[in-house]
Order: sequence, then C-alpha cells, then structure tokens
Amino acid sequence: MALLSQLSAIVLPVFLCAAIGFFWTRSGRALDSDLVATLVYKISVPCLIIATFAKVELTPEAVGTLGLASITVLAAGGVIGAIVLKIAKLPFPSYLPAMTFSLVGSMGLPVCLFAYGEEGLAHGLVFFTVTSIGTFTIGAAIAAGRMSLDKLIREPAIWAAVLAVGLLWTGWTLPEWLINTTWLLGGIAIPLQLISLGGSLAQFRVGSLGRAVTLAVTKLAVGFALGVGVAELFGLTGVARAILILQAAMPVAVSNYMFALIHKREPVEVAGMVLISTAITAVTLPLILAWLLTGG
Amino acid sequence: MIGGLVVNFAVPCLIFSTLTRLQVSISDFGAAAGVFSIAVGANILVSAVLLRALKRDVGAFLPATVFANNGNMGLPLCLFAFGEEGLALGISIFVVSATTNFLLGVSFVSGRMSFKETITAPHLYVVFAALGFLFAGVDPPGWLANTTRIIGGMSIPLMLLALGVSLARLKVSSVGQSLFLGAYRIGFGFCAGLALSWLFGLEGAARGVLILQCAMPAAVLNYIIAARYDREPGEVAGLVVGSTFLSLATLPLLLYAVIHGFG
Repeated sequence: MALLSQLSAIVLPVFLCAAIGFFWTRSGRALDSDLVATLVYKISVPCLIIATFAKVELTPEAVGTLGLASITVLAAGGVIGAIVLKIAKLPFPSYLPAMTFSLVGSMGLPVCLFAYGEEGLAHGLVFFTVTSIGTFTIGAAIAAGRMSLDKLIREPAIWAAVLAVGLLWTGWTLPEWLINTTWLLGGIAIPLQLISLGGSLAQFRVGSLGRAVTLAVTKLAVGFALGVGVAELFGLTGVARAILILQAAMPVAVSNYMFALIHKREPVEVAGMVLISTAITAVTLPLILAWLLTGG
Repeated sequence: MIGGLVVNFAVPCLIFSTLTRLQVSISDFGAAAGVFSIAVGANILVSAVLLRALKRDVGAFLPATVFANNGNMGLPLCLFAFGEEGLALGISIFVVSATTNFLLGVSFVSGRMSFKETITAPHLYVVFAALGFLFAGVDPPGWLANTTRIIGGMSIPLMLLALGVSLARLKVSSVGQSLFLGAYRIGFGFCAGLALSWLFGLEGAARGVLILQCAMPAAVLNYIIAARYDREPGEVAGLVVGSTFLSLATLPLLLYAVIHGFG
C-alpha cells in the first residue's frame, strides 16, 4: 500500500496534468503552441536550470559523469535504432530521431522531481540538457538532411546550462533576488509542458498500428536496457543511477513529431509512435519506479 | 488561453495546495476570514460611492479598488512579519479574498450576478475540499498534493507575466487616475483594517495580518478578469500597477507600524 501511494504520487500528477491539456484541446479550445513554446523553452526552462543548480549542491565531477553517461545512452540508442530500422527496411530520416530522443522534459522532469526531490530534478536536467543539444543538432540534421548550429546557439536553455556549469565550477553564488526570480519563473515549465503534451496527444492519430506498437516497444525496451547497462558501465549509484534509467526509459519525444512535420518525414507515423509509447509508459513507468524504489 | 488556464486551474490549485499544506485552527481561520469579509463589504460600499462621484465605470473599476493582492504579495509579507502563525492567518484572508474576488469580481465586470457563474466557479469547490481535509485532520494523498502543487506553481509567475504584457500596452494618459485610485485602495484599506481590528479587539498577529492584508495593492487577478471581459483592461492594469508602485513606498512604513506598534 505504501509503495502504491508513493507510485501514484509520482506518476498520477504527470498524467493528470497532461489530461488537462488533452481535454482542453478536445473541448475545442485553442492551445497556442507558439506561446507555450516561447514561455516554456525561452523563459521558464532556462530559469529552472539556473534555479535548480543554484539550490542543489552537485559536484562538477558528478555532473560530468552523468553528462557523459547520458551522451552514451543517446549514442548507443541511435546506433541500435539504426540497426533495427535497417533490418525493418524503414527510412532513417523519418524514424531514427524518434528511436533516439525521449520525452525527458515534459514527462522526465516531473518524474525525477517527484521520485527523488530537487536532487532528482537537478540530475534529470543534466540528461535533459544533453538531449536538447542532441535534438537541436543531430536530430534536426537527420530529419532535415543537413547540420545547422544556428538553432543551438540561439537556445537560451543552452546558455543557462553553460552558466549553471560555470557556477558549479567556480563555486560562485548568484544574488538572492536572481535566484528567487528564476525560481518563480521556473515553476511554469513543468506544468505547462505537461498541459501542452496532453494537447499534442489529443491531436495525434495512429497511422499503422502494428508498426507503431513494434517500434514503440523496441524503443522503450532498448532505452531501459541501455539505462541499466550504461549506469553499470559508469559505476553510477543512488539518485544518479535511478535518474539515468528513468530518463532513458521515457517514451518518444514530441519534438520528433515537430521535425517530421516540418521536413515532411511521415509525421503521422511518428505521431503514432509518440502516442503509443506514451500510453505504454503508463504501465512500464510505475513498474520501473517500483523496482528502483524498492532497491532494484 | 493563459488567462483561462490561470483562472480555471492554476489559482484553484494554488489555494488548495497552500491551504492543505498548512495547519490552520478552524476558529482562527473563521475569525480572520469573518472580520476580513466585513472589510470587503465596507470597501465595496465606499468604493462604489467614490467611483460614482468620479463618474467612472463602477463595474469595471470596483473589483480593482476592493480586492487586493492578498496572495502573491500578502502571504510572503505575513510570513516574514509574523512567522507561521501570520502565514496561517494570512491564508484564511487570502481564501476569502480570492473567492470573493473571483465570484464578485466577475459579476461586477460581466454586469450580471448569475447563479450559474457562482456555482461553476472552481474556487468555491476547491476551498470546500481543502476545508474538508483540514476539518478531518488528514493530509491529501500524495498524487493530489503533487498535482496541485505543480499546477499552482504556474499561477503567480503567469499572472505577473500577463500583468507585464498589459504594462507594455498601458496608456500614459491614465497615470494620474491610476495613482489616485491606487492611493485610495491602499489608504482606505489601511483605515478599514485599523478600525475593524480596534472594533473587534484584535491584537498581535491577528491585528497586524488584518491591517497588512487590507492595505495591499490591487490584485493582478482583476486585470485578468478585465481582459477576459474586455472591460477597460488597460485602465485596470494602470490601477494595479499604480497601487503596486505606491506600495513600494507604503509597505516599509506599514511593516514598521504593524511590527512595532503605532505608538
């Protein structure tokens, strides 16, 4: 019973917040995705990164190790995804980003926060930042067919991450007013991201069910296995290990659909993968959490 | 869209989350809420007369002259001035203020006091639910506490951002009126708080919190409502900003007075 209420305290808020966005959109009300994206990614997420790292004490070594482990998970996920797609004879530009980049922001961050507190959120943000950099460079390049660094340089979250790492390195602290301001604005990111996730899911349709299910299950299974394996490889323990495993096992990210839509890379199929993998996560996430929380 | 999300989800969650996270004794809760309700009633009467005398649109301006920023400005001040006891008292006032601000504020601005709007307001149910947990003496389950905490966390920054957006559109011509009505909001609120605490024999934290909360600048929520019904949103924003600006000067004096007495 105690485990059940602990699990529901972590997982239910995520799906309840997404449900607000889902029914908001289904009831025919507008969810201005440009406005949400600006509020979340240009303002709130950078503030969340700064405020969290100002509060949580992490050593530069811990951040570096977790960052390298996150890169390894993404790279290995990409290679395995490529092999799977080669065998299935599916085109890389359409499916590879979806096999590689997970929902580590809107779903990953609240799970990290509720399961392991602000320490968990700080660890989750490291994986999130690595994934963001990967999505804006390699993910965009795979879908577009060419590499561009402009987008990355214009992302405030990247600058916030640079600032956060700089502060960890030098041991400098930010003034109280700046910490309080970023903390306040950082509070928007998680709920608004979840509401907008629900809004996106409400618009998604599944194209070919069989393929979407197969790819989604493969992605989730590979992600979980990589999380466990890479954590072992880097000798991660405690919160760092749990966060790496959780973030690696998140469903397909909505951003993959955005790229597929812009570059006309079978967006309906990618949307189906996002929808199916998110639905499966409603079952797998509590199981993984139960395993981690009971000392797995 | 942002206004709808804030009014329908974020603010109700903030009320539920703050109320259930604190242990408030029901009698203190009732006393502070009751006296504050009288202050709100007195404020409505005097403000309506003043606005009519000034030949202003009573329905548009009444909410902003009556309802103050008891949440995002009042609560931290109550906490810093009177500790946990002050915060608990401040929250009971905040609940009355937020509920009446939404219920009456919407009916003043929309020009009709419809029963349907009153019973469909999410605030009312949220307050009852939170009071139910307080009466029963049980903590809400973890999933409910976490959900309301994160959604409630959006309300203050989103309300402030929405205010900033309106600030950018504010017309300079209404500055004089904004400052005058803002000064009235804070000045009359202060007098009402002082008189009522004397009348009901309040002392210590109960007295300080009542006066503090009565003398807060106009609530940001009034701008959100005005914008939603498109009833002079720029001028209402001016009142909110004008009174907030004035409170930069009045707050330190007010805090000094309620903490060190008026002697």
